[in-house]
Amino acid sequence: MTILDLSWWQLGLALLLVVVVAVISLRQRLGLERDLLVGTVRTIVQLYLVGLILAAVFSAARWYWVLLILVVMAAVATHAAVSRLAKPIPGVYWIAAAALTISTAATLAYVIGVVVRPTPWWEPQYVIPIAGMILGNSMTSAALAGDRLQADLFTRRDEIEARLALGFSGREAVQPLVRAALRAAMIPTVNGMMTVGVVQLPGMMTGQILAGASPLTAIRYQIVAVFMLAVATALGSLLFVRLAVGRYLTPAHQLRRYLL
Amino acid sequence: MAIFAVEHLSLAYPGRRGQPPAQILSDISVDVERGGALILVGPSGSGKSSLLRCLNRLEEPTAGVVRFDGRPITGLDPRELRRRAALVQQTPVLFEGTVRENLLVHAPGVTLNASESRLRETLGEVGLDDALLDRDAAMLSGGEKQRVTIARALLRDPQALLLDEPTSALDPPNATLVVETICRLRDSRGLSIVAVTHAPELVRRLGGALLYLVKGHVQPVDERLQDFLAGMHP
Repeated sequence: MTILDLSWWQLGLALLLVVVVAVISLRQRLGLERDLLVGTVRTIVQLYLVGLILAAVFSAARWYWVLLILVVMAAVATHAAVSRLAKPIPGVYWIAAAALTISTAATLAYVIGVVVRPTPWWEPQYVIPIAGMILGNSMTSAALAGDRLQADLFTRRDEIEARLALGFSGREAVQPLVRAALRAAMIPTVNGMMTVGVVQLPGMMTGQILAGASPLTAIRYQIVAVFMLAVATALGSLLFVRLAVGRYLTPAHQLRRYLL
Repeated sequence: MAIFAVEHLSLAYPGRRGQPPAQILSDISVDVERGGALILVGPSGSGKSSLLRCLNRLEEPTAGVVRFDGRPITGLDPRELRRRAALVQQTPVLFEGTVRENLLVHAPGVTLNASESRLRETLGEVGLDDALLDRDAAMLSGGEKQRVTIARALLRDPQALLLDEPTSALDPPNATLVVETICRLRDSRGLSIVAVTHAPELVRRLGGALLYLVKGHVQPVDERLQDFLAGMHP
């Protein structure tokens, strides 16, 4: 099988699809034209730059370049996870950074070091895209869990204080909210496992097939990916919620209401 | 000896993003006699509930001391303090499950000594029929819910009840029932009571001292307040 390279004029033809979106936005007065234009330009520029950087890192083949890429990815993911919160939590950057770094590093170490085992172990062709997928899922789940936790802390504050007033510790009083936040973060992933490949072909598998890999190889990678993303989701949201909820409690088992 | 002694208590919330701190309470000193009652009155936002919540340490004062039974509350385990000074919230909070499950709710690892007969007895103390024990708590009326929360507090053998507008979410007949329950418990159990309330009925029937708060400061109980309270008398 050969890979068809796309020329610039072919990309130009794909751009016509965005024009369709712009026409719909104009006709339906959605007011999205400006955002659509910015989004289109960013898609082209960002992906092109990433392509250039990855090409350079692949050809340089040095572990420290791979590490640098991972650090940059983690920093961007941290920022993205935090910026979706409705209200600031003190120290949330460190919390998100710790949650994403630990969950990603642990998952990546297992998948690369135990399951896939490329040589060298830091082979960028494997490490970078796999780390990106893990980080993306950890980020989304941490943001989902954080969002739910924050909303619940506010709406269920009387319930928390009722438990505190009955002699529960701070951690015990918020436990039902922690559970609800973790469920909210993990349900999309678990549901996704039910329909994977049936409703739509996952992105990584699609990419491998387009790149000429046999579908049987592609599904094996995809199975690994599904399991790895499940654990990344669980670890990312668990660490984030556990650390974040602590910011709302004091050692004297009080709820910091002024943060809500 | 006073059950609660509050000395020069102040409370401020940290300011957000460069804003100055929000001063909630300023230099409050007040005592609550054992078996006595203290009523906190004042306009909304005056800090009444915050002061109440300082007594069982749901809030941490920024300055001053609160003593419970002669000891600074910072020297007590907050969980133990909260069992001995039980809070009744404005809107009764009942958890999923039956009335029995709600009465028996307790922190993991803590034992609650509550036999079947004690549960029935305690429900009787708050004027509820023991047939309610196996009823779904969500199905109770507002007044019944509030009395279940009071019974739940009583099962922990508190010395004091902290009431945060316990009747304001109830209709008048239910409010009256709750007021009667509280007054009866005060007499039968010798409970000390601190109450935030706008209900003149509760003020009148509990008697006790009044603390008038405006914007976090204690104000003398002036004619305006006397008129307000008197005007509400039937």
